[in-house]
Amino acid sequence: MAHPTRNSLAAFFLAVLALLGPPARAQTQKVIRIGAVYPLTGNIASTGLDCRRGAELAVDIINGKYDLDLPLARTEGLPNLGGAKVELVFGDTKGEPKNGIAEVERLVSQDKVVAIIGAYQSSVTKTASQATERLGIPYVCSDSSSPTLTQSGYKYFFRASPHDALFARDQFNFLKDMEKKGQKVKTIAVLYENTEFGSNVGKEVVKLAAEYGYKLVENISYTANATDVSSEVGRLIRANPDVLMHASYITDAILFTKTFHEMNFKPKAIMTFAGYIEPAYLPAVKADGNGIVVRSTFALDLARSKPLVAKVNELFKKKYGMDMSENAARSFTAPFVLADAINRARTTEPEAVVKAIQETSFGPQQVIYPWQGVKFDPQTHQNVYARGILVQIQKQQYVTVWPFDAAAAPVIWPLPAWGSK
Amino acid sequence: MARSWRVGGLVAAVAVALAAFPLVFSGPFPLHVMILTFMFATLAVAWNIMGGYAGMFSFGQAAFFGIGAYTSSWLLVAHGVNPWLGLLAGGVVAAIVGAAIGYPCSNLRGHYFAIASIAFAEIVRVHFNNWKLVGAAEGLTIPMTRPGSLLHFQFHQSKAPYYFIALAFLLASLAIARTVSRSRMGYYFRAIKESHELATALGISFVRYRLAAIMISAFLSAAAGTLYAQYILYLDPESVLVLSTSVQVVLIAMLGGAGSVLGPAIGALILVPVSEVTRATLGHRGTGIDMMIYGALITLISVYQPKGVWGLIAGRGGRPGGGAGHPSPAAVSAPEGGR
Amino acid sequence: MSEQLVQQIVNGLLIGCVYSLIAIGLTLIWGVMNIVNFAHGDFLMLAMFVSFWLFTLVGLDPLLSVPISALLLFVLGLLIYRFAVSKVMRGPMLAQLVVTFGISIFLANTAVLLWTPDYRLIDRTLLSGTWSFGTVQVSIAKLVSSVGSVLVTVALLLFLRRTRTGKAILATEMNRDSALLMGVNTDRVNALSFGIGSALVGIAGAFLSMYYYIYPQVGGLFGTISFAIVALGGFGSITGAFVAGILVGLVQTLGGYFFDPAYKYAIVFLLYLLTVWIRPQGLLGW
Repeated sequence: MAHPTRNSLAAFFLAVLALLGPPARAQTQKVIRIGAVYPLTGNIASTGLDCRRGAELAVDIINGKYDLDLPLARTEGLPNLGGAKVELVFGDTKGEPKNGIAEVERLVSQDKVVAIIGAYQSSVTKTASQATERLGIPYVCSDSSSPTLTQSGYKYFFRASPHDALFARDQFNFLKDMEKKGQKVKTIAVLYENTEFGSNVGKEVVKLAAEYGYKLVENISYTANATDVSSEVGRLIRANPDVLMHASYITDAILFTKTFHEMNFKPKAIMTFAGYIEPAYLPAVKADGNGIVVRSTFALDLARSKPLVAKVNELFKKKYGMDMSENAARSFTAPFVLADAINRARTTEPEAVVKAIQETSFGPQQVIYPWQGVKFDPQTHQNVYARGILVQIQKQQYVTVWPFDAAAAPVIWPLPAWGSK
Repeated sequence: MARSWRVGGLVAAVAVALAAFPLVFSGPFPLHVMILTFMFATLAVAWNIMGGYAGMFSFGQAAFFGIGAYTSSWLLVAHGVNPWLGLLAGGVVAAIVGAAIGYPCSNLRGHYFAIASIAFAEIVRVHFNNWKLVGAAEGLTIPMTRPGSLLHFQFHQSKAPYYFIALAFLLASLAIARTVSRSRMGYYFRAIKESHELATALGISFVRYRLAAIMISAFLSAAAGTLYAQYILYLDPESVLVLSTSVQVVLIAMLGGAGSVLGPAIGALILVPVSEVTRATLGHRGTGIDMMIYGALITLISVYQPKGVWGLIAGRGGRPGGGAGHPSPAAVSAPEGGR
Repeated sequence: MSEQLVQQIVNGLLIGCVYSLIAIGLTLIWGVMNIVNFAHGDFLMLAMFVSFWLFTLVGLDPLLSVPISALLLFVLGLLIYRFAVSKVMRGPMLAQLVVTFGISIFLANTAVLLWTPDYRLIDRTLLSGTWSFGTVQVSIAKLVSSVGSVLVTVALLLFLRRTRTGKAILATEMNRDSALLMGVNTDRVNALSFGIGSALVGIAGAFLSMYYYIYPQVGGLFGTISFAIVALGGFGSITGAFVAGILVGLVQTLGGYFFDPAYKYAIVFLLYLLTVWIRPQGLLGW
């Protein structure tokens, strides 16, 4: 009885070893492979899958012929490389930093990818960008928002999207603009989940509140994925701030919204980061979301001043049967930056590509955000044009409300009563 | 006699295979999988000293692992202390913490101990998550020193040095486990595991030997923590202090064969590559199938091979019901829950 | 200030009652079989999905899906007992601990495969809205869940103490071998206890789905907390689990309110450690 099992054990080992070896893939000249690492399973898989959709659509547009102003849209593939097509190879990080390294290395060594995009969670981006730095492989990120990522002085890492310090500053600039309209705000409370993302935002808000002259009346960090948040909301009610600033992922955003309503917490405004703009948020809380302000890079109503947004969203809808979310829209940019740089470099050789990325210059019409385009700071490699907008949930839609010149509707202020939404 | 020859041949073959592995598979991913395998094997061997020998089923090994990683990294980042010294310091800190928490818990048995270990590890995690001195939730980033060297415990060109260091860690912990297992202490551990009352009646100091087991285990787990930190060069509470790491360690030890010297290492050799390879090959689809396979595998092994793979290899495995350590149904049904 | 204190106590009681119901199912299994069901949190998740799909597909309110969810989870419990747990009952204790971990990972990821990792919420239930008692706000759904939890606990205690089957379960819990000698079919008792324990978490899941978001990993923290509750109350003690659940709800809420929300779960675990230090068998264990 023992022998057959022993043999099957040996067979099993052989199978594992076979998987570990380099796959015998034919390397065709016409395909340029880009590695995309995202949390595709695990706790925030829903977000990772959302990011993947954005990146996939971008590659469709690069490879196909589309009448859009986006870089490389009107040509098939990369014209300078004989129309070579871009292919995304996905790696699953499960949201764990150690897998950031593993997936980057695996994609580079086994799948022969020439560049990396993605990661979403800043802690994973940290290890993944360290791996690309060691390997000397270009990495363009357009979905992680920790300010520290572009402070390491890495040579191969670039970020096209804004970071949390910029986003936090936007929120305060908005409050100053509201003051000019006669809406006085004196006190602020900050509420943030205690992982790397939330605590960074918390830190920025505390700093900026002092800089902008607001009184910080409560500073709460809480455990993410909580079972119940009534003690947190109780403290907020006790502090009674004019404005609440809240950094959370999706689960806590849902739970807090329900608890705000239930315990009738009513500041003049609730200004938020991240979780409140995930596609699952509004379907989950429905009318309770109305009036909440969220930082964003993207909103569908930007189509009013940017017809490109509507066209891209149409393609997105056709492919996936849903509207483009903010996560998908953010991940949409990185493939363009890379494809454009490789096209200009006429090679996938890392040094040449990095040099080309450094010379990237997208105009305002070539991005789906209200930015002046994409251009990287030579020191930090942060996109100098990246900025945020503020959207407010009005009638269960995300509506751009700030900057006022890009606004699709005026801000609803103060926050309407919970029952009356 | 024939058996010992076979064992000797097997050992030699394994030694050659392990030494040749980095030459055959030079890509970073296979080496990464093996480094993680050795690291988890070290953790499982460490767990085994507590759980397999002394019968304390800890589900909180991530706390010791994290304390080791944090101690050496903090000393390096804040004070420039060499990570090898940091490794020793981390081990000592973890052992002291283990003794401090183990002392009040030393009269807990069975499930009560298991839950207490979870509670302890969760408290440690929450505390590190809010502890500004060690970077709180943002964690610690270990600066790259170029070029890498053995002295600085950092390598950037190749993963092979990490591979051999991780292997050395595993071999060292196996040697320690073997020594403990064959020493008088090891017999006392097993005596305590079999029967608390009997051990006490024989004059074995229950608390003293339990603490010894915890401290050895904590030290080795902390060493693995330093290895992780120097390999990944970044750590935060979410990557080193989470319950899932503790659970994985127990799964590995159990599936390999708790109580034997080599069992936990064999468990790691199977389970870590399986989980890494299924993630790499199936995870990108985002369907969860890789983890379903993993879960089903664990369930099947515990049902059909409850003494672990070691039981199979050693030829004394079998269907549930038979097996040393649980000689009669009465012994099984007598609750270990401290009643 | 004191209004907010009353509010916090009320909220602590409300979440505590739900914790109790989740923990009672766990403690029953634990007490009878001496097995820790680490898949308990995933059972809770499945129950929540049952309510979600009954609501979405048939329009059945979660309150009315309570019996269906209980029944389905009862069957699931029986199946898992028959095909996995019963086979390790005579094996090493470690295998008993690990088998349910495997089931936990398997169930959570099956849910990902079947229903995607998305977050769902049931809205516009029969019991949506809040009641105001002066300045204290009480969610109707949470209030009904808590009352339901208490009623189910009382019903379980009556069942265990008044019926023949219940007495067989209690006898097995106290001493398996004596029960066997007295002619109790302990295998049947085991299966039944596992089924009932699962049905209880099924009820808890249906209640929870009235106001909590639903996704494949939702069982995680609820599961971990319920282990601490069961151990705090004393393994196998139904009353112990009930009291400990309420205690944990209060400690978590008031600790978060007065001390620091970031530490509120740590305080719960600290409470457990301090308790077993003084009383190794838990509050009401024996």
